[in-house]
Amino acid sequence: MIVAQARAVTRNFGSFTAVDRVDLDVSSGEIVGLLGANGAGKTTLIKMLLGLLAPTSGSIALFGEPQRAQQRRRIGYVAQNLGLYPDLTVAENLEFRAQIFGTTPSVEMATGDGTDLLVRELPLGMQRRASFTVAIQHRPDLLILDEPTSGVSPLARSELWDMMRREADRGAGVLVSTHYMDEAVHADRLLVMAGGSIVAAGSVGEIIGSRRTLLVRTDRWAEAFTLLDDSDYSVILDGRDLRVLMRSDDDARAVIGLLEGAGVAVQTTVGPATLDETMVELST
Amino acid sequence: MKAMIVKEFRQMRRDKRAMGLMIGLPVMLLVIFGYAARFDVGQIQTVVVGPNAVQVSQSLDSAYDVVEVDETGDRQAVERMLRNSEVEVGIVTGTGSSTMLVDGSELFVAQSALRRIPPATQPEVLFNPNLDTAPVMVPALIGLILLFIGTVVTSLGVVREREQGTLEQLAVMPLRPVDVIVGKIAPYFLVALFDMAVVTIAGLLLFNVPFVGSWLVFGLFGLVFLFVVLGLGVAISTVSKSQGEAVQLAIMTLLPQIMLSGMIFPLESMAAGVRWIGYLLPLTWFIKGARGEFLKGPDFSALALPLALLTLMAAVVFGVAMYRFRGDLAPKRGDAAQEAPFTPAASS
Repeated sequence: MIVAQARAVTRNFGSFTAVDRVDLDVSSGEIVGLLGANGAGKTTLIKMLLGLLAPTSGSIALFGEPQRAQQRRRIGYVAQNLGLYPDLTVAENLEFRAQIFGTTPSVEMATGDGTDLLVRELPLGMQRRASFTVAIQHRPDLLILDEPTSGVSPLARSELWDMMRREADRGAGVLVSTHYMDEAVHADRLLVMAGGSIVAAGSVGEIIGSRRTLLVRTDRWAEAFTLLDDSDYSVILDGRDLRVLMRSDDDARAVIGLLEGAGVAVQTTVGPATLDETMVELST
Repeated sequence: MKAMIVKEFRQMRRDKRAMGLMIGLPVMLLVIFGYAARFDVGQIQTVVVGPNAVQVSQSLDSAYDVVEVDETGDRQAVERMLRNSEVEVGIVTGTGSSTMLVDGSELFVAQSALRRIPPATQPEVLFNPNLDTAPVMVPALIGLILLFIGTVVTSLGVVREREQGTLEQLAVMPLRPVDVIVGKIAPYFLVALFDMAVVTIAGLLLFNVPFVGSWLVFGLFGLVFLFVVLGLGVAISTVSKSQGEAVQLAIMTLLPQIMLSGMIFPLESMAAGVRWIGYLLPLTWFIKGARGEFLKGPDFSALALPLALLTLMAAVVFGVAMYRFRGDLAPKRGDAAQEAPFTPAASS
């Protein structure tokens, strides 16, 4: 079942278009990752799905129906800024939310010994976990998370993704935005946003497709980087190696020619592009 | 250093609220202390009654603004007029000496009158015979405390929800906007009522302030005034992005009320333009009602105008504030095009 659907959704702020004709589907039991740099339009899209912002044009349906206030009972939302009361304990935050949703507080699910601590006294990783627990304690059918792993340690991020997977396995549709490319593998499906539009969709492999990268190794890496960057190549510095995204098969020859023409000796190999490199290309 | 100064001026120029405070506050203080801050009242509203009323009224100092001369009137009629704040001084003439009845609840007016006692006249101060400060200040202080809780504390409480992102969470929960609004404001309302009770009891017990009026009417004034100030607080919160902004705005609404409401400086001593600003402030009308109930116990009809004005202010301010607050909890459809409802595709 499709729990969230958007069709040609657009949101303008004055003359600025934050979200531009976006289509989106989230089904029960799947995790959809919304990838994009800051300012790509992820949060605006999420706010429209939550009913916090009205689309300028286009349509949104939740659980097969147009958006209605009654659907909020079936939605869980983890905001980028936590959305917890910092001057209440975790247990009090859980209790407050449980009372509103008419459920029992799931204290045992929260932060263990930290439940009686004020939220502001907890480290960020535990705050995010508490925020997640608060959002899912009423067992929502649609779980929307805006950058839920932002600023937390790799271990805490893995735990949060485990929790999201458990929610999807339970049957919830999960939409999660992130700008961490390495987290994309945890999602069942990805939507890549740039400039307010969806510029790519599918699995990591599908999004990367046939894109290739030329790995350039040279002692004069700084000079090589400047040369390639000045020539409008999409180049990333990986340690002392340069990774140049190839737009065509001719790019390898051209890059080598450019560098050797400038007296820079190089060793090169061609390999598949990473998601990061693909994102750089898609975002430009 | 030059860079620092230039940077500071740039930031100052872009902080419109701070600029308003820096420019608006000195202008406000200039107006207040130039035109409002006078303790000596030059226009004392006076009634003269009794057999020699005409003669005595013609011999009075120019500070006495004689609004009524009644040769058939008596002391009882003058006391009623004073109680209902129709006049501030009443002179009861007789065949021999006269009696000047002075409204002691108008402290500075009374002091001005007592400095200008007409010849062969015995002064008598009613409602606050010793011209004590506490009986006059306690009712006004109750208003000030309600004002503080209503505007400063309430606006901070609502802005904090927005800063923390919890207002957004409330908007996506299964709550009606009215649930959020009432749930948010009710605690401040109750705390303000509690404070009102505490200050009133403290005034009665510690400062021996009399209360001769109707508790019901006093409570009604407090209730209506609370709606105005809570509305002000919520309205401030809807236009403030941070708690700092909310405090700045709250100060700008508090200061004129403290200075121009008649709490400290008598309204009668202010220049006409400034006095009219005072008439637009809710604290002015609460103080009139509260001082009346504490010290004089006027007829209800005498307080009908202050109560009606406060109610009007409550309806407008509270109504606008709730409308704006509701906008924070529901999507803004301002520039959203209305389209035909979307029919979702079949599940896959």
